[in-house]
Amino acid sequence: MEKGQTFQDSEVVDKYRTLYYAGASGDYNPIHIDPEFGKMVGLGGAILQGLCTMAFATRSVTNLIGDPGKLKKIKCRFSAPVMVEDTIKMQGTVTDIKDGLGYINLQVTTQGGAEVLQKFEAVVEV
Amino acid sequence: MAIDIKFIGKAYAPYTYDVCKEKIKEYAKAVKTLDPHYVDEKFAKKSKYGTIIAPPTFAVVFGANLIEPVFTDKELNLNMSMLVHGEQEMDFFEVIKAGDSITTGAVISDIKNKEKVDTITVEVTSKNQHGKLVCRGLYTFVVRK
Repeated sequence: MEKGQTFQDSEVVDKYRTLYYAGASGDYNPIHIDPEFGKMVGLGGAILQGLCTMAFATRSVTNLIGDPGKLKKIKCRFSAPVMVEDTIKMQGTVTDIKDGLGYINLQVTTQGGAEVLQKFEAVVEV
Repeated sequence: MAIDIKFIGKAYAPYTYDVCKEKIKEYAKAVKTLDPHYVDEKFAKKSKYGTIIAPPTFAVVFGANLIEPVFTDKELNLNMSMLVHGEQEMDFFEVIKAGDSITTGAVISDIKNKEKVDTITVEVTSKNQHGKLVCRGLYTFVVRK
């Protein structure tokens, strides 16, 4: 890993992803699994669980480092909803390497350019 | 009604979660993270961990057992129809291995009353059966007024 290094990842949110994530995580909030409910509360449909988006973003980092045990920290802000059938794009940059740790920033957007996770930062062992 | 800041420091009863490899695989598939550390038993046995490990973010699966009592806390009385997940921070220590027994506790670490929203932060701490810290998560929820 080098300072300034960049990497990409992407994920198309298939129609049933929120159901798979609900089963795996226990987050069955109706805004995620019921498109009609999502419309009723003004979201325009079912929205993906934010922690699922965060897991995709984290994957892009663990794929880069190879050993998931070297991930030390992540943080992010959930800034906009991800809808079913959106494409999530992750664009990462290694911003610094210092004292055996690598610092990574990730831009996480959907196909229209909306930033869905803000200030995604990860710290990894190098 | 604003969330009363007197609840800062309120702790919730610990919950012990037994991690099984099938649940790890289910989670890894759900988040489309098919790293062999998580899903390939032959690879995992030969890895430095010697067994299937979980994706770091699997910590939210057992963490959820401590978020639920916060959401249903009648004394705290959060307006769930106005609540969204605002921010998440996770520090990772020991890896999560299949067969681990992980005990998680939670405390309300912060409440802020702002003009249009309140925020509440729950610090969720998980340790494994050896007493070693596995993950510390800060879950911040935003409640619109």
